[in-house]
Amino acid sequence: MGLVLTEEKTILPVAANRGIESSGTALAWVLGESLPNGHWYREAVALYTNSSGTDTGYGFFAPSVASTHKLAFEIQYADGRREYDVPAVGGSATGLRLTLLFDNIARARYPLLRETMLRLMAYAVWREHPQAEVIRAVFGTVNFPSATEFARGEKPSYDVLFAYDFKFRPAPDSP
Amino acid sequence: MNLPGWRALEKFLFPIQSNSWLALLRVGLGLEVLFYTISARPDWMELFGSGGRALVNRQIAEGVLNIESVAVPRMGWLIALGHSVGVDELYVLWGVWALLLGAALLLVIGLFSRPCAILVWLLHLCAVKSEDLLTYGVDNFTTIGLFYLMLCPLPDAWSLDARWRRRSSRYSDLNGFFRRLLQVHVCFIYFLSGLTKFMGAEWWNGKSLWRALTLPPYNLLSPEWVVHWRYFLPLAGISIAALETVYPFLVWPKRSRRAVLACVVAMHLGIGLTMGLYLFSLIMIVLDLAAFGPASAVSSDTEVFAERSE
Repeated sequence: MGLVLTEEKTILPVAANRGIESSGTALAWVLGESLPNGHWYREAVALYTNSSGTDTGYGFFAPSVASTHKLAFEIQYADGRREYDVPAVGGSATGLRLTLLFDNIARARYPLLRETMLRLMAYAVWREHPQAEVIRAVFGTVNFPSATEFARGEKPSYDVLFAYDFKFRPAPDSP
Repeated sequence: MNLPGWRALEKFLFPIQSNSWLALLRVGLGLEVLFYTISARPDWMELFGSGGRALVNRQIAEGVLNIESVAVPRMGWLIALGHSVGVDELYVLWGVWALLLGAALLLVIGLFSRPCAILVWLLHLCAVKSEDLLTYGVDNFTTIGLFYLMLCPLPDAWSLDARWRRRSSRYSDLNGFFRRLLQVHVCFIYFLSGLTKFMGAEWWNGKSLWRALTLPPYNLLSPEWVVHWRYFLPLAGISIAALETVYPFLVWPKRSRRAVLACVVAMHLGIGLTMGLYLFSLIMIVLDLAAFGPASAVSSDTEVFAERSE
C-alpha cells in the first residue's frame, strides 16, 4: 500500500510520503523481506501469506484506475509481405486475464523479463507462421478520453511504449 | 486470567454460532471454483503449459515466485511429480483440471467436505501461483476463502456428510471463532480498499469510475450511454469509496447490518453486470454473506458467548 501511495497520484501531501515509506520499511522488516533469499523466517512468512491469500494488498482500482494496454504482432516475410495478429484466447474469462498480463508487462521493472514475456508470446505467433522472417511485437497504451472530452467527440488514441523484433529458426532436426 | 479486557476479548473471539454460515461459505466457494474451472477450460493448456502452446510460459511465473519463496505450492511440482512416474505434462494438467472440477462439485454438495476443501485449496493455489502474471482480486479472495474453509470445523449441518453419512465435526464449538476471523478479515479488506480509493484524486471527480466502466475489457456498457450520466459519476465514485470505508463500522451493529450488506451486495451485482467481473462479484458476495449474512437471520447468537473455563 505504501508503494502505491507514494508512486501514484493521491490526494495526500508529499510530506506524507516519508511516513508512508517508513511504515512500508517496517512492514518489509516484519515480513522478512530484508533477509536473504532462502532464510527460514522469510520462507515461512511467504508460505503463510501466499497460502492464505494475504500476500497482496486490497487497493483494487485504487488509488486510480490504470490505463489499459494493447499488444499487436507484425509478421514480416522475406518477400516484404506483412500480416498482423493479436494474442487470442478461447474464453472471455481468459481474455480478462490477458489484460492483466499486459498490465504486468507494462509494469515489469526488469527489461529482460518484459522482453522474455513478449518473446514467448511472439514465439506462439511464429509457430503459426513458420515462414515469417521477423515477428515484431508492438506494445502500447490506450488513452481513453475523459467523460467531458468524450462528450466533445474525442476518440481513444494509442501510444506505442516499446517494440521488439524477434527472429526464430526451426530446430535443426525439424522437417 | 480474570482481567476484564481479556474476558471481553474471549467473548468476542469465541461466540456460540450455528454453522449455517459455513454451509454458505462451502457451497459458495465450491461454485466459485467450479465456474473458475469451467471458464478456464478453453485455455487451460495456454495458461499452464510450457513451450510453444503456452500464453506465457508457466515457468516464468514460477521463476518470479522462486525469488519470493521456493516453498509455495505450484503447478510445476505436480508436473514434476507426474514426470517422476512417467506421466506427460499434458495428462497431468488435464488431470488437475478434472480433479479440481470434481472436488469443487463434491464441495458444493458437501460430500467428503474436509478432504475436498484441502484438495481444492491446494490445487487452486497451485493454479493461481503458476499463473501469477494473469491473476487479479478474484484469485486472492478465493484463496482467502478456501484457506478459512479448509481450517473450519467441517462438515457443516447442511452437507451430505452430516445428513447422509451422519458425520459431524468434533470442533464445532470453534465455529464462532473462525467466523470472527473471516469477519475481521473482510472488514480489513473493505476498509483498506475504500481508504486507498479516497486517497486517489480521480475517485473524487468521477474519472476513475468513468475509466472503470469504459476501458476495455470492462466496457460492457456503451461509453455513449455512460457519458449521459457523467455528472452523476463523482457522487457514485465517492459513494463506493465511502461504503467500503464505513463498512467495518456499520456492519457490526444489528440496526445497520442488513442495510450495509444490501448496499454491498448491490454494488457487487452492479460490478458483475456492468463490468463483466462475474467471478469477482460472486466471491465477494459469498464472503460478505458468509461473514455477516446468515447469523442475523438465523439467530441473535452474536449476543450469546461461550463460557470458557479459566
